[in-house]
Amino acid sequence: MTPSVFEYHKAESLEHAVALLDQFGDDGRPLAGGQSLVPMMNLRLARPRYLVDINGLGLGAIELDGETLKIGALVRHEQYLSDALIAAHYPAFLDGVRAIGHPTIRRNGTTGGSLSHADPTAELPLLSILYDAQIVATSVRGERKIAATDFFEGAYMTTLQSGEMIARVEIPVPPSRSTGAFVEFGERRGGFAIAAGAITLEFDDGRISRASVACSGAAQTAIRAPDLEATLIGLPVEQPESRDPVKAFTASLSPPDDHSASADYRRALIGVLLQRAISLACARAMEAS
Amino acid sequence: MIEITLEVNGKKRSLNVQPRRLLADVLRQEFNLSGVHIGCAQGACGCCTVHVDGSPRLSCLTFAAQCDNKTIRTVESVGGVYAEHPLQSAFRTEHGLQCGYCTPGFLMTLVPFVDAMVEEERMPDDEEIREAMSGNICRCTGYQGIVAAVRSAIGAGLERSAEK
Amino acid sequence: MTQSMDRPKHIGARILRSEDTRFLSGAARYIDDIRVPEMLHLKFVRSQIAHGRILEIDKSGLDDIGFPTQIFTGDDIGGLSIKAHQDVPEMQFSVQPLLARERVRFVGEPVAAVLADDAYLAEDAAEQVFVDYEPLPVVATMAQARDPDVPGLFENWRTNVFVERQMKGGDIAKARAEAAHIVTRTYSTQRQAGVPMEGRGVIAEFSPADRMLTVWSSTQIPHLLQTCIAEELGWPESHLRVIAPDVGGGFGVKGQVFVEEVLVAWLAVKIGRPVKWIEDRREHLTASIHARDHSHTLEAYVSADGRLLGLKADISVDVGAYSTFPFTAGGDPGMAAKVMPGPYDFQHYEATFRALATNKCPIGTYRGVGRPSAVFSQERLMDDIAKELGLDPIEFRLKNVVRQFPYKNALGFTYDPGSYAETLEKIRDLLAEDCAAAVASRSVPGKRIGVGIACFVEQTAHGTPDFTRRRVPIETGYIAAQVEMTPDGKAVVGIGLQSHGQGHETVMAQVAADALGISPSDVLVRHGDTATTPYSVGTWGSRGGALGGGAVHLAATRIADKLKAIAGHLLQADPGSIVLHDGEAYPEGNPDNAVKISKLARAALRNVDLLPEGMPPGLEAQYSLDGPGDGTYSNAVHAAVVEIDTSSGKMQLKRFVVVEDCGTILNPLIVDGQVRGGVVQGIGSAIFEHFIYDEECQPLTVTFADYLMPLAPEIPNIEVHHIETPTTRTPLGAKGLGEGGAIGPAAAIANAVADALQVDVASTPLNANAIWRLIARMREEA
Repeated sequence: MTPSVFEYHKAESLEHAVALLDQFGDDGRPLAGGQSLVPMMNLRLARPRYLVDINGLGLGAIELDGETLKIGALVRHEQYLSDALIAAHYPAFLDGVRAIGHPTIRRNGTTGGSLSHADPTAELPLLSILYDAQIVATSVRGERKIAATDFFEGAYMTTLQSGEMIARVEIPVPPSRSTGAFVEFGERRGGFAIAAGAITLEFDDGRISRASVACSGAAQTAIRAPDLEATLIGLPVEQPESRDPVKAFTASLSPPDDHSASADYRRALIGVLLQRAISLACARAMEAS
Repeated sequence: MIEITLEVNGKKRSLNVQPRRLLADVLRQEFNLSGVHIGCAQGACGCCTVHVDGSPRLSCLTFAAQCDNKTIRTVESVGGVYAEHPLQSAFRTEHGLQCGYCTPGFLMTLVPFVDAMVEEERMPDDEEIREAMSGNICRCTGYQGIVAAVRSAIGAGLERSAEK
Repeated sequence: MTQSMDRPKHIGARILRSEDTRFLSGAARYIDDIRVPEMLHLKFVRSQIAHGRILEIDKSGLDDIGFPTQIFTGDDIGGLSIKAHQDVPEMQFSVQPLLARERVRFVGEPVAAVLADDAYLAEDAAEQVFVDYEPLPVVATMAQARDPDVPGLFENWRTNVFVERQMKGGDIAKARAEAAHIVTRTYSTQRQAGVPMEGRGVIAEFSPADRMLTVWSSTQIPHLLQTCIAEELGWPESHLRVIAPDVGGGFGVKGQVFVEEVLVAWLAVKIGRPVKWIEDRREHLTASIHARDHSHTLEAYVSADGRLLGLKADISVDVGAYSTFPFTAGGDPGMAAKVMPGPYDFQHYEATFRALATNKCPIGTYRGVGRPSAVFSQERLMDDIAKELGLDPIEFRLKNVVRQFPYKNALGFTYDPGSYAETLEKIRDLLAEDCAAAVASRSVPGKRIGVGIACFVEQTAHGTPDFTRRRVPIETGYIAAQVEMTPDGKAVVGIGLQSHGQGHETVMAQVAADALGISPSDVLVRHGDTATTPYSVGTWGSRGGALGGGAVHLAATRIADKLKAIAGHLLQADPGSIVLHDGEAYPEGNPDNAVKISKLARAALRNVDLLPEGMPPGLEAQYSLDGPGDGTYSNAVHAAVVEIDTSSGKMQLKRFVVVEDCGTILNPLIVDGQVRGGVVQGIGSAIFEHFIYDEECQPLTVTFADYLMPLAPEIPNIEVHHIETPTTRTPLGAKGLGEGGAIGPAAAIANAVADALQVDVASTPLNANAIWRLIARMREEA
């Protein structure tokens, strides 16, 4: 299991990187952590003829710019675990990142890498959809902001165009009376998930005033649940009666049926995970109050 | 071919490598470091773990070409030819290895963990120890001897710190 | 303990392993660490379809690939093949050519061998070879294999049954007639892979000057590999040397002879350059061997007061496309049939067992072989019977286990003394609180706790009669040891075992040291090289300690007797009174009148004028120790405590307890490691490990992303308790233990799940989806 032949180029700057990617087109791929790309290359399922090493490009910061959190494409997963902004405003993010792979994967894998790989049950794609992230792609043509819900097209497929790479992810800073939770289920801790459910919510006067709900395992990408979100608004944070709305949502799903899990199981599991995420988020909201 | 300079186990060397050569293969062949083992080439088993610039990395998912001017350490640098590092000694006393194939990967993953616990002056619980090695597969030991070895090494480290 | 040992000092001691340093420091040499000048790297082109006729192999892509390559196909190898026949009239024979000829029969079967100067280039070259197949209908299930209308996988085959036979004893009709209860169930255990962390690998080098063919292989059976290659290639065995280097795990997977091994040897001679092949993980998962894949229908005949009267078993195993060497396609079903009576006292038994051919990777020997599946069925049945009769599962077993020894079971195997009842009683005490918690959990919504046990015997170290009865290419099971001393009074042991994690270098040194009165650190143990070790069967079948240790003991004792004779002569004392201890020899009770063992050794090898009249020089001995005819029976009880989240199907293994008896313990450090390692593999079999094919026999679980094994966070501490019931059947009183840990967990965990959810559990794996389905059934039945 060795990779096929390719040319290696080390990008000296972002301009250099996008120029190379433009030159190489569909035959070129950025190389960041390599934790998703290189396994595919070792199986020769991915056969890029050109790799552009972007690890030197200082895109590794998590920083606040006004009301927007900007996460550089090269932020390593484990960085989230010790970041004060993430801890303060994005608890679901923390939950999700803790579930990624194993310690060495978390040390080396990147946000840009995970999002471009677009594994249907990966945590960061789900979180980007949950938080209404804008994925900022860059190329010789400049930057292009893509809403996360428009970014993931299918399993391992994104709407990134030839010559584009992810530069950063932008997430609005939630208001202070907000919280969230992410709950995943897999056969083993840190392995690939069968499904995950996540919520962010804003609360006011003891009631949910806004909710964002997303899950993975239901389709070829993570999905939002707008109808479910609507029914959560107004529910008391202390005792959110979310069982029926969640059930109505999962009844509408047609999850895949494969050797990892049956469609029925996925559907039931997603229901359980969403309930748990909602309960956990509400418990956190109670604590914060 | 790409020309790179690697500092491996304390020695600097320049060499030419084809871009697609995995760091694991370059270390094994060009540097004759047989302690680097390939178990899956997918990043799932941890056998190939080395340190790049001081931090654990899967050498089967790394191209040598991307390691120019980096510092690399393999298990051969941990405790010398007699394997005298406290964690290696603990693996012996707690029977943390049987066939030995996964052992270098576990050592490279766990040496930083042991150091961190000694630095933080605390003994982690079993759950935390097992989580720290959740990226390493062992088929022989059932993991218990390895957990015991980690505990023993942290304990020895805490004692040494206390003596200072 | 036998009488010829003066005072065992090292046997039984928790001595650290002498071999550890090279594994810890990275200096160990596994097959891929061996480099031979001028060697070519081999990459196989393997079949992408499960069943088909080879129409054409298009090699034209190699013509302008830009670097030198060589390619060999089935047309180049003549009739070279692996044949593993069971010499019984019922068996249909399969022949697996070293490279597919005309037909491929499983995805992954080798079709062409491509060689280049380095492994990356060889993989590039193999990709340029295109094979055109005419697909043939696929035999994908046991039902299809048994269907008489489905054409046979081989030209002269009537059906797709490799072999179907019977084993019986007593009068099953009588048992049925007398039974107050008849309990019938069907149980199945899934196909899995063995997955040592190091895959297979072979290097071969032919030296024309001395006509010496050297083969390095990551194997457990170097001598058997040597003979098989020699016979197949028509090579004199004296000129064939097989070396197993450090081997990164085997578990029985590397106890087969594979087509790749024989082919690499042939290629080295044919090409005139050394050839190296190292398999990758995908090849290992799809094309080495698989294991389990059993379906058993059991019918138990039980008296009114809960005593087992008899058992009828119908056993099917999906053994894949070829019979594997040397244990054959009949190996797994035959073993399951043989061991099904277990530790229970009844005299009427009938088993019909069959090996079914399908277009999948062949089944071979993996830790426990047919036993984990048999014990799963046997122990699920015991719980199911107990439940039907309203009896406590432990009490029911206590009522039925054998207590009087020696015990001749229904098939005529005699069990040596064991501790079946004692292990059950101990586990009952150890689990009392968990059992109470399990009952209490039934009234708590959302969570269920369950406790399950498995009680079993394991026939180990079985001797020649057990093999000749099977009429397969493994005719015996003896282990040979050669011991010699050097003039400085230290010793070298050459053993026909091959250590791949079992610590033989340490354990055999302990045994020799005790017999010779020296320190284990003064004993060097060699293994794995047919040039420096005596002919034996290798390491498998839980016999390393019992027979290997026994052979070392007997050979070393012969040397010890000679040392005592020399000492007696020099000290003018009766040799029968001489004690060998801590490097000295002296008459018992008179340690001041001592002579150093190193002086005795020098006398035997150099200063032979000091020897008694008529004694020839020399200080070496060899012993080939066959196992007892019926083997020796270790026993254990495994217990699992599970906690199930009834909303998500998540099962957590809270506790796993083993009470085991393997007779005399040679080194408790090693024994605990073997038990724990085996248990965790058994847990993998019970919960996670499932090798899955689709209806076209395309493998789906081909990387570690899909083929899941236990990681540290999933595993609790394994509590191990020992009882020692030494056997008189082996020199040191040791019974076998290498596989035992892997035999019980599936049954114990399944019984725990059945207890937690109060539903029938009939199959493994018990992964999250399976648990969830059982929960759904629990709700329906409520």
